[in-house]
Amino acid sequence: MRPFELLEPSSLREALGLLDTADETVRPAGGGTALMLMMKAGVLEPSRLISLRRIEPAWAEISQSADAVEIGALATLSAIEHSGIVRSELPVIARTLRTLANVRVRNVATLGGNLAHADPHMDLPPVLIALGASVIIASRGAERELPVAELISGYYETTLASGELIVRVRVPKQFARFSAYRKITTRSADDWPALGVAVALDREGPVLREARIAVSAAFDRPLRLAAAEAVLRGASIDDEAVLIHAGDAAADEARPIADERGSAAYKRELIRVHVRRALRDALDAQGGTP
Amino acid sequence: MNDPRAKEPRNHGPQVGRSVPRKETHAKLTGTAAYVHHLVLPGMLHGKVARSRVAHARIRGIDTRAASALEGVYRVLTAADVGKLIPDPHYGPAFHDQPILAIDKVRFAGEPVALVLAYDPHVAQAAAALIEVDYEPLPAVYDEVEAMTSKAVVHEVLKPAGTFPDLKHLAGKRDTNIALDYHLERGDPAKAFAQAAHVFEHTFKTQQVLHLPLEPFVSLADPADERLTIHTASQSPSFVRIEIARLLGWPENRVRVQVPFLGGGFGAKLYIKLEALVAAAALIVRRPVKIALTMEEQFYTITKHAATLRIKSGVDSAGRIVARECEVWWNGGAYADIGPRVTQKSGFTAPGPYDIDNVSIASYALYTNLPPAGALRGFGIPQLVWAYESQADMIARAIGMDPLEFRRKNILREGRPQATGTPMRDAAIGQVLERLAQRMQWQAPFDRGSGTVRRGRGMAIGFKASISPTTSVAIVNVSADGSCHLLCSTVDMGQASDTAMAQIAAEVLGMPAERIAVVHPDTDVTPYDMATLGSRSTYHMGHAVKRAAEDARDKLLALAGELGVPPETTPIPDLFKKKYGMQAGNVIGMGSFVPAYAPTDHATGQSSNVTPYWMIGATGVEIEVDTETGVVTVTRMINVADAGKAINPAVVDTQLSGAAIMQLGFTLTEQMHFSEGQVTNPSLADYKIPGMLDLPAVIENEAVEANEQAGPFGAKGVGESGTFGVSPAIANAIEDAVGVRLTSLPITAEAVYRALRKAAGRPLDDE
Repeated sequence: MRPFELLEPSSLREALGLLDTADETVRPAGGGTALMLMMKAGVLEPSRLISLRRIEPAWAEISQSADAVEIGALATLSAIEHSGIVRSELPVIARTLRTLANVRVRNVATLGGNLAHADPHMDLPPVLIALGASVIIASRGAERELPVAELISGYYETTLASGELIVRVRVPKQFARFSAYRKITTRSADDWPALGVAVALDREGPVLREARIAVSAAFDRPLRLAAAEAVLRGASIDDEAVLIHAGDAAADEARPIADERGSAAYKRELIRVHVRRALRDALDAQGGTP
Repeated sequence: MNDPRAKEPRNHGPQVGRSVPRKETHAKLTGTAAYVHHLVLPGMLHGKVARSRVAHARIRGIDTRAASALEGVYRVLTAADVGKLIPDPHYGPAFHDQPILAIDKVRFAGEPVALVLAYDPHVAQAAAALIEVDYEPLPAVYDEVEAMTSKAVVHEVLKPAGTFPDLKHLAGKRDTNIALDYHLERGDPAKAFAQAAHVFEHTFKTQQVLHLPLEPFVSLADPADERLTIHTASQSPSFVRIEIARLLGWPENRVRVQVPFLGGGFGAKLYIKLEALVAAAALIVRRPVKIALTMEEQFYTITKHAATLRIKSGVDSAGRIVARECEVWWNGGAYADIGPRVTQKSGFTAPGPYDIDNVSIASYALYTNLPPAGALRGFGIPQLVWAYESQADMIARAIGMDPLEFRRKNILREGRPQATGTPMRDAAIGQVLERLAQRMQWQAPFDRGSGTVRRGRGMAIGFKASISPTTSVAIVNVSADGSCHLLCSTVDMGQASDTAMAQIAAEVLGMPAERIAVVHPDTDVTPYDMATLGSRSTYHMGHAVKRAAEDARDKLLALAGELGVPPETTPIPDLFKKKYGMQAGNVIGMGSFVPAYAPTDHATGQSSNVTPYWMIGATGVEIEVDTETGVVTVTRMINVADAGKAINPAVVDTQLSGAAIMQLGFTLTEQMHFSEGQVTNPSLADYKIPGMLDLPAVIENEAVEANEQAGPFGAKGVGESGTFGVSPAIANAIEDAVGVRLTSLPITAEAVYRALRKAAGRPLDDE
């Protein structure tokens, strides 16, 4: 690892000022868990790190309004995992976090850093996409809101401009929706997933009004599966065959990428099985607690 | 090295057979145990290795200018610098084939080409990336079977070390990748096959994996006082001293090798690894030099042999194996390391623990352009058991016999000759098999699952001979207060040898093991030991320690006689006080051990005494298969072994489960992936060893009631026995559950899924 400069601004405003530079070797650092690995591997050699750990604590807060949960980008993954608000309003997030890395990483890693890292194997992006979440992005003197689905544009790539920081994540309260996430590893349990499947279902009585299915890890970025979602729209929740059809539709429309975790053909079969199982999980989990 | 607060038991009784708490536990749990990674010497330079990025090429030139010019770089070394100090800088235990830094040619991607020295390891690392090597690519060979006839030749000429008589015939052989061909012939296989009721022939494959001790390789050489001290994480300090002295043309006593605790070894840290490079660098720059590898660099250092195994068996109408032909190709990578010994010492057990009159074995050590392969927990045995125990079930299934019954009918019984002709002695094969069957309740009904979750079970049994003949020497030093030091060069790398050796000495001396301090290997102080490998320490060093303790005990008894005091009841401190008038003096006992051995005949592989003892290990598993995804979950694993008399039952238990869990990773999840000879997954993030969540919910271990008559207090080795049966037991259980047979490792979920699809007549097409 090469020597670098570490700055620790005490306010978001100051941090945004320091990041407003054309120098691409100046990078922000949240928990630093992913950043440090990249630096040790020599794939990232920053000249200066702008640590965000000393900015106002408000940027790590978790709060709720009538229709949404807002999570500060500096909230650690374990703070989110253990948040009463998250557990009652967004239990699928708390459940997902328990399968993400390990306690030591979760105690340090931040939500904003997790999303900005844009590793396609991350667990939270598909879950947040299925839940319809958006990110609030700040830059010097400006703020904008963007669906998480539009944040990640490719393999380790985001639509964030230089000098922009994710400052909050807004997740709509789910009310009658129920959701599930399945993390599929093909080697050891702590491997990066070969596939992530997140589903969120909106039902009216026995009829599915809307389904969101977001898949990750088998692609260069998390994706919605529109054809599988279409199969479910208006279907009866008691019709087991429709879940099978949805899995088949997902397998047909997905274009998985082969790697050491599995061939493209095998991952397509995993999508077929686990989209169906995730839908079943969501239907079974409704009303359940994390 | 020993916790001074360790409490001695009040009434200590027998020390052998007692689960003495490990002596090092307190130091390890409190973070005070010494490791080479912690060691810093004044004026020390850090070395970082620049490695080949190609698998096979001639070196046209090495440009070190940019690296040398980087601020903070002390020196950049290449083979040219090493050659001025050591005219023939090739090392290795079986062949002197491995250069300290690549000379004229590289033979695998990852081979050390240059060394950068700097006071700051980060500077050295940055500089190493600046070294430019001009390569002329050569055709490469990666597959062990192709290497038999390949036009790509890894070494132009073979250079056996000369220490092994059975390698001498290879000296000077040109243009071949066959580093050793070992043959065994017994009976008349051709005739027996012709008369057999059934003949089965199958080919099995294993993948290249590696040891991955959590403490990566690390060595530090200090050239002070016209001699060389090497602090190293090594399993073989005595070998390091002899080999470094040979390279330098020095007497052994100018080289000192010190080894503290190891953070795991598993066979990786044997013979020479970094020691020759740090030694050369330190002597060239006349400063201490330390090289600490990263986790990634372990993938370029030493691995476990991938192998192809063809096994042909003739079986009579009653289910007796009448003939077996085994052909094994071991992928040794670019340097022989100990591969030729794996080829021979394990090769002769290729027919398995079965009583077969007609046997033919051919076992080949092959050079390829991959990272070198050496010893890894089992020394080739797990690869062989994978083949013969998979086939055992395939045969039993084909002839309609229960797999347990088939094994019962064929196993080697006490006194019967093994394939080498050596009669089996103190080898509890039958007992191990029966205990496994009892624990599995083999005859009881078994829940076979339903729907998409199918259940099955399988068993496998293997055996191993000890590498032979090898020597161990030990010294017991009794101080005037009656406390005691044990000096031995066995390396405690996590297997609790300090504790076991102290127990053996304590048993002889009639004191609690806690009273014995074990001095860690220091070749200036601790006597010779061949190495800590192959489950040999308990037996070989155990014998030497026992003899040293007996020698000390006899001298104490003689001293009592000389002083005219009752020998059995006079406390030890009183003897010294009476002899020297105060608390002073020492009594020193010495013991050495080398077992009897009869070398194998070069043409027939026959020997009347091929090993001092046999290790037996069997594993049974219960598994679940998800038929929609191919995921295999081992729900219960039972490991049974013959370890002779257990010196420390708690340690024997954890050695069995530790070995089995390691082999579980080699069976299901671990695989080095390559692209043109370059490892593409050299990290713990991308090479997956089992974690806590991957372990079977139930693991049971049992060392059967057994006694190795020639062993110290009836004991023998146990460090590897848990590895033997794991892989084939799982493959056998998969066939039991879902009717498909896997013949290649690792057994990934995808491999199982593809086999299921093929069996269903709907093979999965690639995209």
